[in-house]
Amino acid sequence: MKIEERRSTHVYRQKRMFTKEELEERESLCVHEQPAYCNAACPLKLDVKALAAALAAGDFDKALALYEKITPFPHILSTGCEAPCESSCKLGQLGEGIAIRELERAALAYGAKPKGASLLRKKQQSAAIFGADLFSLFLAGELVKKRYPVSFYCSQKDGLSLVKDCAPWLSQEAAEATAGLLNELDIAFKWGCEPEAAYWEDREKYALIAAAWDTARTLYPGLETDEAVMVCREQRLITGSTRGVLDSAFGAKRAALSADRLAQHLDPGNTRGEEGSVATRLYTSLEGVKPSKRIPVKDMDSAMAEAARCIQCHCDECIKGCAYLRHYKKFPRILTREIYNNVSIIMGDHMMNKPINACALCGQCSVLCPNGYDMAEVCHIARQNMVSTGKMPLAPHEFALMDMLFSNGEAFLSRKQPGFKKCSYVFFPGCQAAAIAPATVRAAYLDLCRRLDGGVALMLGCCGAIGDWAGRYELYGETVDFLGKELGELGSPEIIAGCPSCKKQLLSQGRESVRGIWEILEELGLPETAELRQRPMALHDACGARGDAKTQESIRRIAAKLGCEIRDTPYSGDQSPCCGYGGLTQYTNREVAREMTESCLERSPLPYLSYCMACRDRFAREGRESLHLLELVYGAAADNCPDISAKRYNRLGLKQQLLKELWGEELKMEDLGFEVEYTPEAEERMDDRMILRSDVIQVLQHLRESGEAVLEEDSGLFVTRERLGNVTFWVKYSETEKGYLVHSAYSHRMTVVNRL
Amino acid sequence: MADKNYYTVDPEGKLMCMKCRCKLQKGKAKFMYLDNGFPVELPVCPRCGFVYVPEELALGKVLSVEKALEDK
Ligand code: SF4
Ligand code: SF4
Ligand code: SF4
Ligand SMILES: [Zn+2]
Repeated sequence: MKIEERRSTHVYRQKRMFTKEELEERESLCVHEQPAYCNAACPLKLDVKALAAALAAGDFDKALALYEKITPFPHILSTGCEAPCESSCKLGQLGEGIAIRELERAALAYGAKPKGASLLRKKQQSAAIFGADLFSLFLAGELVKKRYPVSFYCSQKDGLSLVKDCAPWLSQEAAEATAGLLNELDIAFKWGCEPEAAYWEDREKYALIAAAWDTARTLYPGLETDEAVMVCREQRLITGSTRGVLDSAFGAKRAALSADRLAQHLDPGNTRGEEGSVATRLYTSLEGVKPSKRIPVKDMDSAMAEAARCIQCHCDECIKGCAYLRHYKKFPRILTREIYNNVSIIMGDHMMNKPINACALCGQCSVLCPNGYDMAEVCHIARQNMVSTGKMPLAPHEFALMDMLFSNGEAFLSRKQPGFKKCSYVFFPGCQAAAIAPATVRAAYLDLCRRLDGGVALMLGCCGAIGDWAGRYELYGETVDFLGKELGELGSPEIIAGCPSCKKQLLSQGRESVRGIWEILEELGLPETAELRQRPMALHDACGARGDAKTQESIRRIAAKLGCEIRDTPYSGDQSPCCGYGGLTQYTNREVAREMTESCLERSPLPYLSYCMACRDRFAREGRESLHLLELVYGAAADNCPDISAKRYNRLGLKQQLLKELWGEELKMEDLGFEVEYTPEAEERMDDRMILRSDVIQVLQHLRESGEAVLEEDSGLFVTRERLGNVTFWVKYSETEKGYLVHSAYSHRMTVVNRL
Repeated sequence: MADKNYYTVDPEGKLMCMKCRCKLQKGKAKFMYLDNGFPVELPVCPRCGFVYVPEELALGKVLSVEKALEDK
């Protein structure tokens, strides 16, 4: 198996990730942008949530502006509205909901109105309203807002008596304020007239005619009107009956929209868009929210305090749990759309390549999301898609892929237990366990051989997850076949996986029987080597064990037997976040991987106990005391923070040791014929730059054959290079008695050639 | 027409090819990646043609161009 960079930025191939319908279906799962419960309940579409936010921040002017947007007569509405928003308030499920009308009144009392008149041009068609009721009054306000010249015929003799007749509950102060607003509006009032008589006399003068409901029924007894649009089509009369204050205000809004349609000689039912209250699919967690009571609003401070009780309902369950989503500050819906577009564009910058490759594919989001949004699947499909169109750069994944090839090549080992022709089991510890904790793996294997009947074979290798995560489906397929062949040669025994991710991966390959070593240990009991530790530890569940309650429980029982006092952390069990290794994030985006690790560790100050070697390693690297369950079971420690080269030597060393110890085979390590030493700076740089000692050695071997090197006079060091696969490696060295001292190493993927 | 060079490094007589025992000189070279070419001037051995890519160049400009191309 070989990996070659075959990408060209001049090859334009493209394939959809999925259909538009599927995209929309996936997107619709995310309810982040659904309206808050209060907003959804308001037929006038007041942005209650924003109003509360403005007030909580002390911005009364903004709150007033939001409120005035929905009604011409705020005093009437804020005192008379039946307020379905209040009964829908989420907080009502716990304690008392927000006193939204009180907040509206506070906005009105303390907010200042912006100056300046409407910039809209006055409309040509004029409108007349005959008769006064709450509906016709609101309608007058709505029509003025739409810039129709409005005439208003009523029996009242002035604004104040009009307001008092329509809204008798208003205080004197509020009634006067409303009458003041009315006077400011550009309305031609025909005071003290008889509306019915005026209607027959004047109606021809206007393009649009509306009437109060009682007036309309006197004019046309038995009149029928379409309440959805507040129009009586036969008479072309805008009118309708309403029940209550909010319904009058909402009826006036529907009527004003109908006026627009009639003015354009369209049917009033035409293209109206969404009106009224809506059903919301929003999900908002009340976890951590304490029930509270209303704060009586008496002044600005108490209004701000009441508004501050509002929890600004929204859904961010996934973001709260996932460091990756937090890093990119995007909700799955947006992210999916952008990824979809990224994959669909042919030329130009693919801005989403990084996010596509940074997801841990851990599946936490699908557990946290109330609708099971599966971001992992989206990113995984996107990766496979990019691989299939040749759009996936090799650089982000190459190191990991080469590591997989190494695990299943040079470091691979598959053997039956000595003395057994047929084995009932095969132990599959996983590539990370062998890389990080070879002594633990050895102890585990020897224990299984000793205590299990029927023979236990050993297979050191990689389950293929790396190729799968990288989206390299061909390579992954070859790996699956390879493992199948090797397992077949062992007689297809039951697999004992050392790692929950391997278990999951192997099961997904259709391997018949796979169990975790923890399940076996529960059957056999703990070995004598078990180190009992009476101490509290935080248990980190592996993302490979998500949805695998049996494994999670088994691990807890074993930990308890070991004496650990397990403290479950927030987001444990199925909700566990990824340590930063999953999905190859560790290789593609160190920054995001680090944030993932930190976010795991933030959950508890205790030492961490885990059951995936990659988690164990990443936590240790962040400086936390970190243990793998098997380290305790076998009293055999993992290496502390081995570098990338050590992780390879560990795998090779384990193979070599076990071959010799158990099968009496000597694995010849190639004798180089020279020695290589490294300065501490060189070691640090190589680990950071993902350059292996074996890479450096190959470059030096080439140097010995070719003699190609350059002397830098300034530093007195030699520099040589060799292209290995898709990368050119450079090594800066000085000569020693037995070989070389490496001072630095660097690499690039570009090739460099002479030009004449 | 004058060549467009994306980058120039002058060895200033401070680099020596160990194989040919002669000083590297400023010479024409080309970086290639994912089917894109970038003409540059780098220290080149006049005899054997060894092209030297300094560490700062590899970790700086070369890396950033690689990354940009990978996301094209
Ligand atoms: S959890 Fe995330 S993906 Fe799911 S609905 Fe909420 S915001 Fe959307
Ligand atoms: S808590 Fe705030 S955002 Fe949520 S429903 Fe109540 S008023 Fe609306
Ligand atoms: S990192 Fe995990 S939780 Fe976050 S989006 Fe990816 S799969 Fe979901
Ligand atoms: Zn030369």
